[in-house]
Amino acid sequence: MRRFTGCFLAALLLLGLTACGAKEPESLQVIAMDTSMTFTAYDGEGEEAVSAAGQEVRRLERLLSKTDKESMVSRLNTAGGERVAVGEEVCSLLKAAETYSRATDDTFDITLSPVSSAWGFTTDSFRVPERAELDALLKNVGMGHVSIQGDTASLDAGTQIDLGAIAKGYASDCVAEIFRENGVANGWAALGGNVVALGSRPDGSPWRVGIQDPQKADDPNAFAGMLQLKDAYAVTSGSYQRFFEENGKRYHHILDPATGAPAESGLLSVTVVADDTAGNGTMCDALSTALFVMGEERALNFWRSGAYDFQLVLVTQDGRVVITDGLADTFTSEGDGYVCETVS
Amino acid sequence: MKLTTKQLTLCAVLTAMALALSYLENFFPLSLAIPIPGIKLGLANVVTLFALYALGPAQALLILLARCFLGAVFAGNMSALIFSLLGGVSAMAVMILLSRLGGLSVYGVSVGGAAAHSCGQVAAAVLTLGNTAPVFYLPVLLLVSLFTGALTGLIAVCLFRALDHTDLMKA
Amino acid sequence: MSVKPSPKLRPSGYDALVALAVVALAAALGFWMWRGGTQQGLTAVILVDGERVEQVALRELDHPEERTLTAGGYTLHLRLFPDGAEMESADCPTQDCVHTGRITRSGQSIVCLPGRVIVRLEGAAVNDGGPDIVIG
Repeated sequence: MRRFTGCFLAALLLLGLTACGAKEPESLQVIAMDTSMTFTAYDGEGEEAVSAAGQEVRRLERLLSKTDKESMVSRLNTAGGERVAVGEEVCSLLKAAETYSRATDDTFDITLSPVSSAWGFTTDSFRVPERAELDALLKNVGMGHVSIQGDTASLDAGTQIDLGAIAKGYASDCVAEIFRENGVANGWAALGGNVVALGSRPDGSPWRVGIQDPQKADDPNAFAGMLQLKDAYAVTSGSYQRFFEENGKRYHHILDPATGAPAESGLLSVTVVADDTAGNGTMCDALSTALFVMGEERALNFWRSGAYDFQLVLVTQDGRVVITDGLADTFTSEGDGYVCETVS
Repeated sequence: MKLTTKQLTLCAVLTAMALALSYLENFFPLSLAIPIPGIKLGLANVVTLFALYALGPAQALLILLARCFLGAVFAGNMSALIFSLLGGVSAMAVMILLSRLGGLSVYGVSVGGAAAHSCGQVAAAVLTLGNTAPVFYLPVLLLVSLFTGALTGLIAVCLFRALDHTDLMKA
Repeated sequence: MSVKPSPKLRPSGYDALVALAVVALAAALGFWMWRGGTQQGLTAVILVDGERVEQVALRELDHPEERTLTAGGYTLHLRLFPDGAEMESADCPTQDCVHTGRITRSGQSIVCLPGRVIVRLEGAAVNDGGPDIVIG
């Protein structure tokens, strides 16, 4: 009897050992859409899910890239005003962009592309354009220069689009959908500044999402704050993410459509948080850019208007972290030197 | 090991009781008060404790193993088996040892068993997860086991008092 | 085998000793973890264009090591330490990888977009209250 028990226990222990690593998450990190992306699945068909996510972002890159000459966006940009059958997916994304432009008083605008190119942000050959040059380019900026009909679209001559400020958010929506299709209830995806966090950590607590400290962008362990998120999207837009310096002045990549110059709104970064409703990844991405351009006061008024259901973390140039009251229980202050304020 | 009919019956009844207690425990989720995975009262330990004194180590181990396997079968969750087995066997080993030391009362034995149970469960978690992160919870689990151990000890003492006049303890 | 101990029903001083031992064990473990005793060995995984070119068990390094990576027409100088990694210099136009600073936690990575290089730290995550995901 005793020997039997002993053997049985030993066999069980071995079984337990072979089951080792069964709960190790599946993770894949790729470079796509001009950023680094990480997909991590803790359950379900994890391996299939992360590899399908990798293929999906490559598909979207081929469809939406501004630099890939074969992409739908490039075909539209080079059509010289002709109508292009861009397909249902691109059209719905264009319509979403149009909706967010209108809702945010044109602080979000996908037609800023020629202006962004003039600053060199698309090619990494940075320069400061003349005022006159910017004014000339701004004449072709605005969603009024984009026409969408069915699954076709056309641009006015001189107008170019860049979906960069919305494409990664849309990709995060697609990845969340792929995770769900593969039975991944717990996992996350980080696509540049776009995060979708599904379910919870293996111990059942919420995912801990660190917001990079914009003043210490060189330190990967410096955070302005930490969000505890379950089933949520979070997107950060910050002036520290992409910039160049000329004659001691810093120029960042988030341009104000009203001036064509880097938005000087008193903000260092804007983080938009929303629940996991389909489409919210796209919304958070578009709004984070728009609210950065708006600045603190307009951004908070936009939040109070209730037009969209989301919460905010604003990091200001004068050293404050402003959070909206819906995040009071999920946000913890991290960075030293920041004063935390909760607004309602 | 030969079992008399009486012993066999007692083992069966105690196994059933242990299973019932494990199930009952789900209605008092200690994890709501202390949000740590795997934290629970450990009521089934009362049966182990009782069997150890009333029937001896061999039969107590038998009951424990039966409880673990049947519990896993009923829950349809075989992966939980390694947790309950490692926890249960560790607790059993420590309780056998402590009960033989002489000076200790049921309370001391029970607390020692509860602490060993926590260690065993964390060891199981380390084995299945393949990393040492669960060890992080062990200090809190150990402190909690002081209280859960004292509680199960108290219940067992009440049981011994109530059954003192029967011949159960002399079986 | 059926030597049965008889139950003692009243708590004694020896019981307090058991309780004390448990508290002492908990305290010792807590202290050990507070000192960062559970820090596991990290592995630096180097990916070029999605291909895993090398992985280095950092704990086994007894002094910093250098790696020179050539990818996408750029040359990157990576430094590996027993507790992390950093890109010392690179001739890419963006310098994002150099600006990332030193990575020290499992899951962190240094990414060079123009060279399509990823240096990623893998290993058991340490439950020290740090973030699972970083945005920004």
